[in-house]
Parts: sequence; structure tokens; C-alpha cells
Amino acid sequence: MPPVINPETCTVCGKCASICPMDILAVTNSGSGKSIAVLYPEECWHCNACVLDCPVQAVELRHPLSHMLLSVDTLAPAHDHEENI
Amino acid sequence: MSLNIQQKNYACDVLVVGGGIGGLMAAIRAAEKGASVIVAEKADTRRSGSGATGNDHFLCYSPAYHGENMEPIVKEVITSLYGRWQDISLVRKFLARSFDVVNDWESYGINMRPKGGWLFQGHALPGRPVFHLKYDGREQKPLLTKKARSLGVTILNKLPICDLLQNPDGSVCGAVGLSIAHEHNTPELVPIAAKAVILTAGNASRLYPGVNPAYLFNVAHSPANTGSGQAMAFRAGAKLINLEIPYTHAGPKFFARCGKATWIGVLRDYKQKTVGPFITKPTRELGDITSDIWNSVFREKMNNGTGPSLMDCTKTAAEDLDYMRWGFACEGDSSLVDALDKTGIDLSKQMVEFTAYEPMFIGRGIEVDENGASCVPGLYAAGDLVGNFRADIAGAAVFGVFAAEHAAEYIKQNTLPNTGQSPSVAECAEELETFLARKTGAHWKEANSLLQQVMHDYAGLEVRSESLLSTGLEYLRKLEKRCRAELRAANAHELMRCLEVLDLIQLGQLLMHCALERKESRGLHKRADYTFTNPLLDDMFLTIQQNTSQSVKTAFRERT
Repeated sequence: MPPVINPETCTVCGKCASICPMDILAVTNSGSGKSIAVLYPEECWHCNACVLDCPVQAVELRHPLSHMLLSVDTLAPAHDHEENI
Repeated sequence: MSLNIQQKNYACDVLVVGGGIGGLMAAIRAAEKGASVIVAEKADTRRSGSGATGNDHFLCYSPAYHGENMEPIVKEVITSLYGRWQDISLVRKFLARSFDVVNDWESYGINMRPKGGWLFQGHALPGRPVFHLKYDGREQKPLLTKKARSLGVTILNKLPICDLLQNPDGSVCGAVGLSIAHEHNTPELVPIAAKAVILTAGNASRLYPGVNPAYLFNVAHSPANTGSGQAMAFRAGAKLINLEIPYTHAGPKFFARCGKATWIGVLRDYKQKTVGPFITKPTRELGDITSDIWNSVFREKMNNGTGPSLMDCTKTAAEDLDYMRWGFACEGDSSLVDALDKTGIDLSKQMVEFTAYEPMFIGRGIEVDENGASCVPGLYAAGDLVGNFRADIAGAAVFGVFAAEHAAEYIKQNTLPNTGQSPSVAECAEELETFLARKTGAHWKEANSLLQQVMHDYAGLEVRSESLLSTGLEYLRKLEKRCRAELRAANAHELMRCLEVLDLIQLGQLLMHCALERKESRGLHKRADYTFTNPLLDDMFLTIQQNTSQSVKTAFRERT
């Protein structure tokens, strides 16, 4: 679930739901009151708009494993045996 | 679930479809010229489109910086990665006006000089003119929205447009949208009457399989942009152009992001050998332009076993690394910086794999003249959905201005039509109601997924041929038929996604028609049955237009 809303700090102002470019968030009203629901997590673009615009910094983006950045720590020494390729 | 038709009669002089950079600039300029303007936006103009959270390179020509002779910049632009598929007449008109728009943006509060003076960096070859202004675009969308509102522009958010409305003579008289606002329990169709329409709905993503096909929204450009502008323009009779020539972007492999020119590093292979010939020591003034010049480098090196290609910032000066991280935030890539930090990737010590992303329509689409006008009276286009001009953020902004200025004159000869009773609205409603009424049926993702696989296998980058393209075309026709017979939407959001997929399937078919017609290999268009590049097709652009409801006509024309 990419955007993670902190219920302790969220004021349910609804700005994240308004500005989400993919329309994945909504203000919902259940028995326990209003909250922000992540309705379509797999449609998140990970653009950070909800994080940037939340007036109380209640949103964090979780980057799923499917989006893992591939980093290389150790390289082969330079001038390796190129002729083997 | 049923469908309502909005009874409030929205009407305006100029309707702008899509509130991205091009749309907001078109709205601002049309309003300044005295037109009443409505912007219909799929999401929210404050954070929508491919410039949603920022950009940091604005292509422009500054006489004060570059000198009075514009021609060296023209030459540089038309020989760039995407310059070959642009009409030079449009490039010249764009460049001549580009710095005026830079000044306009600065007057709106957008930070065009974040380091004090005018700074040109990125997407440049060593020793050649630099024509991208480095700026801080992270607040560009809220500020353009504020400017448009201050001029009286009406912005209707959460209103993706489904189709254009036309007078009996073919001229455009408005459009019909689908409200996806969550406060409506019942999806609602919204007709809007307009004397002129400016399409600024952006590129077409999600046409080919992405870096990880299981995740349809893991794409570099906005996945909300699905070619609806190109598709509805085609249905209205406009010409589309250059669809058969693939364009691919590049960036970090499984985290698809724009912003390759923001990286200050060198592409190297696993043996630390530089991939391209351009630089060995990166600086903020000159990064590695290899992926702009050698578009197929990533695929070629993976296929011949010398890959992967890695972005090496380990030899970048510490202050330039800080500058790069700042640049990412300006570009709208704060999410990428967060991902690097959270996973403990230190770019001063580690390299990140780069790849080419999937083909997409950007600078592939609607043919316009130097006023941004299509061949359909009253229909204009600006931005990434234009097929014979492209300059990304700057191109959208400047051609949005051109389209608005011409539309503001065009509307003076027209009276406002009434679209409330238009048969097109009823036809649109009828199809959408069938998707909503089905108790069971196909999900839009099934169709999007199959579309991508067909595009990859039958109109891909590796090989194209008459037999593959003809068969692929037949498969897409059948997919479209089945979609119309089987798609099911549980609510307005899913209904929007269904319409996106239908537009993409239509564009996929048009691409295959064009790829069949270009009987040669050129750029990333590789025909196994015509492996040569035909000199007779140099500087020849291919257009496609609706002939009858069941057929298309294609034609080559000379680049202007």
C-alpha cells in the first residue's frame, strides 16, 4: 500500500485525495468516523504529491519491492578480460 | 450501477482538455485575450500531468544568453534525440517565443533562476550550445493553477473528457466528460459546450509493457496520460502523425522516472568502461548525454552480454552530488531521493543500473500547424500529444500560448452551440451504461495487459514485419470488440480506466497501420522485411486519418 497515512496525525482534510494524480485516495466515512482510504494502491505512481502537500506531514510513501532500485557495490577491476565476452 | 447526465449547462468560449502545463498555459493566455475558459482536468491541476511535482529543464532560446543568431540553437534542437521528427518551421516559431514564456513563468512566481542568474545545463554535447534552462519547477503546477484562477478560468477537476462533440459541418462544439468525483455516488456524464477546444491531455503511457509488466503504473511519464487526446482527435477527423517511430525514455531500471539529465554521472559497464564516448568526468555543467544520443544502448548491451549499464556518480564531486539531489527535488523526483535514502544507497559509493523504458507516444500524435491548429475547425492541440513538434515542458507551455491566441480569434466568428441534446452525448452514455450495468465481466486491467503484450510481440522494438503487424492488428480489433462486449466497471474510477484502455487499443491499431505503411527501417522502427533505410523517405512524415468509420487513410508528406 504505497501511501501510508498516519492516523494519529492525519486531520482528514482530504487534500491528498483531491490532488492524487491517479485518484487512488478517498475520504471515507465508516462507523468510527472519517478517514483517508487508499483505494487503488497498485495504481500509485509514487510521485510523492501526497507527501509533499500534506499540511501535517501525515503521509509517507512505501516503495514496493517491485520498484527496487538496483545498485552495484563492487565492480570488476578495470581492464578485465574483455576478449572473453 | 446507473449513469447520470449532468443537467447544468456548462458553456465557454474555449474548453481546455487536460490541465497540465500546456493546458494551464492555454487557459491563462485565452483568458488574457478575453475568452471565457473552462479547464477539464482528469485529476487536480495542482498536481497533474507529467510535470505534476516538478521539472528542472526548460528548453529555450535566450537572445541575451545565446546571441542574436537563433540558428545554432535550431540546429541543435532538430538534431537532438527527438528533433528529427519535428517540423522545423514549428521549432523556429517555438524558439523565437520561448524566452518570453520563461519571463511569464517568473512573473507567476515559478523559480526560473534558483541560483541567481540564468543557468543553462543538461542534455548537451561537449562544446556545443546548451539550450535547457535549469530551473526549480516543484511549485509550477500550483502556481500556474493560481494564475489561471486569478484570470477567472473555471477549473473542473476530476473530470476526464471522453470525447469531442461536433457540429454537422464537422467543426468542434464542445466535449463530454465523466465526473469521477467521489462525492457523487452515481457516475455522471458532463457535456460542455465550447466554441473551440484545445487538447492538452499529454502523452500515451501504458501502451507497451513497462519495466515490470505486472505493475502497469511503474512508468516514467504520468500513467494517467493514456492518449485520450490523440484518440478523440482522430475520431473527430484530425490527422495523427509519426506514430510508427518508437520513442523510449531512460532512467533507473525498476523505478521508472524521468530526469535522466538531472543525473551527474557517467554510464559505465561492469568493467568500469564508459559506455559512451562523450565524457569521463561528470560535472553539473556537463553530464553524460549517451542515452540521448544512443537510444538503444541499454538493450544492445544486455543482448550482447556486455551489460548492464550503470550510472556511476562515484567520481562526481561531493558538492555536485548535493546539487544533483537538489536537482531531483526540482525535477519532481523527491520520491526517488527518498527511495535512495530509505534503502541506504549511497551514490558516492554505489552505482545504479539504468535501462531504456518502454515505447510511448510523446511527440507522436496530433498534427498541428504553427498556430497549434489541427485540420478540424475549432480543434487545437499543444504539448506531448502533438506529433510533429516536441519540446516537453517548454513545448507544451509555448504551444499552449500559440493555440490559445489563435483560438481566441477563431471564436469570434462562432456562436455558442447547445450540446445538451447532442446525439453524441446519448451515444457515449449508452456505452458507459452497459459497462456499469454488467454484474460480471472483464476488468480493465485484463485488457490493458493483453494490449501491452500484443504491442510488444507484434509491433515491438526487436522486429516488425508485414505478417506480424497484420496479425497484431487483427488481434487488437478482436480485443476491442471483446472489450466493448465484456468490460465491466464497478464505479466511476473503473469506468475511467475502461475508457483509457479503449483509447489505447485504438492508438495501438493506428500505430500498426502506420508501421505497416513505412516499408523501411529507420531509428527504432525495424522492419525485418525491409531492413534498409530508404533515402526516398528521408524527412518524410507519415500521417493517418479516419476515412470511413471502418477504415483509415495514410499519407506521407514532406517535413516542413
